[in-house]
Amino acid sequence: MANLMPKRRLENIGLGITGFCVALVALVVITLIFMVAQQGLTTFFVDGLNPIDFFFGQNWIPEQERYGALPMIVGSFAVTLLSTLFALPIAIGSAIFVVEVAPSFGRRVFQPFIELLVGIPSVVYGVLGLYVVNTFVKAIFGDAAPTGAGILSGSIVLAIMILPTITTLSMDALRAVPNQYREGSYALGCTRWQTVWHVVLKSALPSLMTAVILGMTRAFGETLAVQMVIGGVERSMPMGLLDPASTLTAALTAGLSNAVSGSVYYHALWSLGLILLVMSLVFIMIIHLIGRKGAKANG
Amino acid sequence: MASENSRALSLDEHVRRINSQDKVATGVLTVIVGLVMLLVVAIIAYILVRGAGRALTPGFLTNPYNDEAVPGIIYQLWDSFYMLIVTLVISVPISLGAAIFLVEYAPDNWVTSAAKTAIETLSSLPSIVVGMFGSLFFVVTLGWGISILAGACALTMFNIPILVRTIQQALEDVPRSQRDAALAMGLTRWETTINVLLPAAMPAIVTGIVLSAGRVFGEAAALIFTAGSAPARLNFASVNFLSPTNPFNIFRPACSLAVYIWRLTSEPTAGSTEIVWGTATVLLACVLLFNLLARLLGKLLSRRLTAE
Amino acid sequence: MSKFDLSRRQFIGALGATAAIAGLAACGNTGNTGTDTPSDSTEGTDTAALVGSISCSGATSFQPLVEKARDAFQDANPDVSVAISGGGSGQGLSQVAEGSVQIGRSDVFAEEKLEADQLEGLVDNQVCIVGMGPIVNAGVDVTDLTTDQLKGIFLGQITDWSEVGGTAGAIQVIQREAGSGTRATFEAAVLGGEVAPDSFRPVAEVDSSGTVVEQVAATAGSISYVAFNYMENDGIKALTVDGVEPTQENVESGDFMIWAYEHMYTREDEDESTAAVTKAFIEFMLSDDFAATVVEEGFIPMADMQVKKDADGNITAA
Repeated sequence: MANLMPKRRLENIGLGITGFCVALVALVVITLIFMVAQQGLTTFFVDGLNPIDFFFGQNWIPEQERYGALPMIVGSFAVTLLSTLFALPIAIGSAIFVVEVAPSFGRRVFQPFIELLVGIPSVVYGVLGLYVVNTFVKAIFGDAAPTGAGILSGSIVLAIMILPTITTLSMDALRAVPNQYREGSYALGCTRWQTVWHVVLKSALPSLMTAVILGMTRAFGETLAVQMVIGGVERSMPMGLLDPASTLTAALTAGLSNAVSGSVYYHALWSLGLILLVMSLVFIMIIHLIGRKGAKANG
Repeated sequence: MASENSRALSLDEHVRRINSQDKVATGVLTVIVGLVMLLVVAIIAYILVRGAGRALTPGFLTNPYNDEAVPGIIYQLWDSFYMLIVTLVISVPISLGAAIFLVEYAPDNWVTSAAKTAIETLSSLPSIVVGMFGSLFFVVTLGWGISILAGACALTMFNIPILVRTIQQALEDVPRSQRDAALAMGLTRWETTINVLLPAAMPAIVTGIVLSAGRVFGEAAALIFTAGSAPARLNFASVNFLSPTNPFNIFRPACSLAVYIWRLTSEPTAGSTEIVWGTATVLLACVLLFNLLARLLGKLLSRRLTAE
Repeated sequence: MSKFDLSRRQFIGALGATAAIAGLAACGNTGNTGTDTPSDSTEGTDTAALVGSISCSGATSFQPLVEKARDAFQDANPDVSVAISGGGSGQGLSQVAEGSVQIGRSDVFAEEKLEADQLEGLVDNQVCIVGMGPIVNAGVDVTDLTTDQLKGIFLGQITDWSEVGGTAGAIQVIQREAGSGTRATFEAAVLGGEVAPDSFRPVAEVDSSGTVVEQVAATAGSISYVAFNYMENDGIKALTVDGVEPTQENVESGDFMIWAYEHMYTREDEDESTAAVTKAFIEFMLSDDFAATVVEEGFIPMADMQVKKDADGNITAA
């Protein structure tokens, strides 16, 4: 009996230490959410900005005290959706190739290759985008895109940046499909493509959707790279894909250094941060929903 | 009879069609993969072509930024690595603890799922939001000022979700039989974790840590408002740990390689474009080195462990 | 080996700091790097030389100049250190107002950014002058614009180069981001209080002078404005305004109108342990020895100015 006590104490110590770590992380996250919400809501509750004017106002002109966030909200969603649209077929296509067609090539060559893209810092993507993508867009569209900066350029750069995220997660998703499914399909005389299309992709669908959402999360939150290529025009609504625009993150980076803490402008910027925070929570919820649905579908 | 004939024919046709479909699909996929590989090669080649010359110039890696002849990046290089080490020192123990809790102890209730959601939230937060939070919480509320510590804490917030996930995965991948054997021998969960699971999972954990280091190394947006963007002036002979010139002082502002690139593109001086590409090359080389190191360490450790 | 010992010490320090986050409540709002450090950096000195550490944050536009000053100042005073960080004018002003740094850099008057109660106790040290002027893409064949023409362009009323005497082609306006000090100075001098209509869209709003230069150089028919020290770049061309060249002499004489002070705000009630260092550093920035560097970096020393400007933009003879 006496021998058991220290063991139990040891167990409690272990529980205490590890539990503390988890609690610490949770505490920091809660503090973050609380602080961003507090600062972001000050705009409406203390400074008295009308939330409707804020979310649907089409002009962000701080020097005239006009804070309409719609141009940035539209910009953020536009680049996110467009970049996902660009990256998706390429990512899923390469994932299928390296999992279904050439697995050993995939593991030995392709995976390290695509992981290189993850390693490139976003500042470097920004510099590349500025010198290469914008020049390219300008050359193609001429006067319609005088600087080349705009939603299209931002989306292209983002597409390259989220490509590795979606690709590696899709590869994992496809690899997780049990081999019996494939064997069953081949045994029925299906071709490889039929197997991929009707069996593998279908059963991996929830995980693939998760991959896509995670890619979108990254695109939505990407900051410096997109800021360097999108043009940064916040004052009114973008009219087309070649029009320079701004995103929530770009507006924050540009504005945060000019705003004095405590001013309406400063709080309005935190409100933009709050939108970003809420959006990432929404993305997580979507992933949970997909996961739950997938679990149900697979029994 | 006739209908059977046509059915046979259509079946034939069908087979031909699905076969050609299969070929076309394979062809398209091959092209896509080829293009992706080409893209990666092109991006890296472009950076190297523009920056390798400068990066290999003698002095670039060892001179301070204000050297007259060859302005270098030694301070930024130091700050990047130092900030990384501080980040790892903070984030590895916390992540290790959190991962062990989630794998071994976590009761199946709302507390656990809330903790999991919190970690997930961290992983999806835009870096600028972390930077904003850091600039208010670490810098102002905790009173650390623009400092390495504030920057490292902001980086920790990125690092923790990545690390927790990889460590969790590594622990779960340890064969069930090892855990059962240890528990059957009367070891507590804690002893099992420390003496059996952790050593067995170590190769995967080390690989995960080094890989995460690569990601932290290139982060800039979260650092601009927490660690600052001005290159520190360091005195490597300094023994006063509280002086802003002491390289080890965690309460001094610092400028990492990635932030330096961002700053030089924003506020260029004469000849800074070359320095930008040179620094980008060095940054890229460091990240590649981390990837390589992660693989090597993982292999080495697992070989040593299996040999024993 | 000693290196490893040091890093272990830092390790312990960082662990302590981690505990501090956990404690949360334990940390008040009182501590700050600037004033924490100096008391300890006095160890080991026995001369009457200047001792202490100060922090300086804020505007990035003249940060390289301040860094040069810091380097020379620290060479002359080895026991002094000046920690410089960026953040922008807004950050610099709010941090000096709340006392978390000793010097807050700004390229606009604090009156334009801070509330009256925050201005209390702030001292305005104008350390040098920055002149700004319009630049265009090198392909634009206009060399001079009147103030009225500039105003028309930046209000979106003049949209083609042929309207101001150049070859026909769309004028592409590149702006600095809202809140930028450079933009505030330019608009105050050129727009005369008028604001562009909501429908007017520049082709880019960029957040730094360096990017402005790059974008103007790369965009045919573009126009923007930068400080003098950015004008010597390939692919861009500086314009004269009302026939006056954007030069140091013309700013000093008051002929060239687009310029602003670079401010280093300090606090009247600064802690005694750092006040001497702060004062000496600002005196060094204004010294004759440093004036050559100021000119070298493209700024204009205070000493030579024949005119002065107040916070409301009124210009008078000095």
